Amino acid sequence: MRLDLDAYVERRSPIHTWEARCKLVGCMALILAFACVQRLWLLPAMIGVTLIFYSFSRLPLSFLRHRLRYPGLFLLGIVALVPFVSGETVVWQWQQVTVYREGLEAVLLITTRFFSILTVALILVGTTPFLSLLQALRSLGLSPILADMTMLTYRYLYDVTENLATMQTAMQLRGGTELSPAAPRSRWWSRLRHVAALLGTLLIRSYEQSERVYKAMRLRGYGHPATTGAIARSPIPLSSWFTLMGIGAIALSFVVAELCLPQP
Amino acid sequence: MHIPDGILPAQICIGGYALTGLTAWFSLKQINRTPNPSEGVPRAALLTAAFFAASLLRIPLPPASVHFVLNGLLGVVLGYYAFPAILVGLCLQAIMFGHGGLSTFGVNAVIMGIPALVAAALFRSRDRLFPAQAHARWLTGVFAFLAGACGVGLAALLFYSLVILNLPAELNAQAEQAALTTLLVAHVPLTLLEGIFTALLVLFLEKVKPELLNQRRKTHVL
Repeated sequence: MRLDLDAYVERRSPIHTWEARCKLVGCMALILAFACVQRLWLLPAMIGVTLIFYSFSRLPLSFLRHRLRYPGLFLLGIVALVPFVSGETVVWQWQQVTVYREGLEAVLLITTRFFSILTVALILVGTTPFLSLLQALRSLGLSPILADMTMLTYRYLYDVTENLATMQTAMQLRGGTELSPAAPRSRWWSRLRHVAALLGTLLIRSYEQSERVYKAMRLRGYGHPATTGAIARSPIPLSSWFTLMGIGAIALSFVVAELCLPQP
Repeated sequence: MHIPDGILPAQICIGGYALTGLTAWFSLKQINRTPNPSEGVPRAALLTAAFFAASLLRIPLPPASVHFVLNGLLGVVLGYYAFPAILVGLCLQAIMFGHGGLSTFGVNAVIMGIPALVAAALFRSRDRLFPAQAHARWLTGVFAFLAGACGVGLAALLFYSLVILNLPAELNAQAEQAALTTLLVAHVPLTLLEGIFTALLVLFLEKVKPELLNQRRKTHVL
């Protein structure tokens, strides 16, 4: 498993230098505005804004291609099905197979919204270090329990994943279950029990490690009121405010166009 | 079982965020009622990491293989920490792998998190319903099975209902109902399998490290 969260955060671009709190608010506003869009004539504008935003971020296209792949598979299921089962206006028919206009329009809408929202989300996480994003969330009011849990989970995810891989290898070397569908089917129940024991052991190890981690954190002052008080908020540069206002205006214009303008 | 970006309209996404905020507030309120709320944070975080890694593991189900959702088990082991744990897990999955999305984050948290809390309450009800049989292993197994199956079953029901009922083009009511029924029936074997797996794992934990299950009873009673 490759965990490459901060691969492109060191690059230089106007989006990289945008202050994390403003970037978070601006990107979320744009994402929700894109989710509002139902009218097909707004889709070219949505793609245009997304592409301009992406080009400003100077993130490589390979990053976008790679990250679109997995969620795209789920979408493919809907794209392949909806035109044939949804709608009333027949566009094309051959024996029992019928393609509906409303279904095709729905596919266009879903795909464009998916592409635009995912791209904006990638710009947000691709140009901001994970810890800065967490700090921004914390300063915007995220609970300290949630912030600490996220940070510790991220910190120990690598360790736990390595632990699991080592335990799997050890189990296989001792003649235990091979976790592959190609393995013999006859001992399926015994394999399921072995996997349960493997994951149970992983949970126990993680639990014991958490006890040690908590003691170490306590010794460093964790849980003391002085260390869990209000967090320091650095001032936001004026340029970041202006960028936020610009992005906010774009997001608002999509919402207004969707809600107020008549259908052409 | 995560809804990607672009499928749901904004009203549902915002509604999902509102419901998630409310459930997170409720869970955190319950956690903050314990004598030392910060004590459970490292435990919940490391167990979240373990669940996260475990959910990536594929289990052979001939002729293919599946991976477990484990939200029922998360509820059984973490109690009220299960909802924050699911928020953290979904956030990391969305950021690292693109599973789910930022616009649908709230909806996905509801789909996974509320069944986890229901599963936790179900497992905990064992002590209230059968106080005289506190050490009966078969009873622990039955309630763990119900918790595991309920976690994934409810999540599947919420997931498919939201996806099918919110497609932009209207399906007719009969087609919607047929699609929903077919998909849910197709999920029955997986629900049973997840229930069996949860029961096996909880029985293993009860035998080897019972305090991992009892910790939940001590610190945050559901």
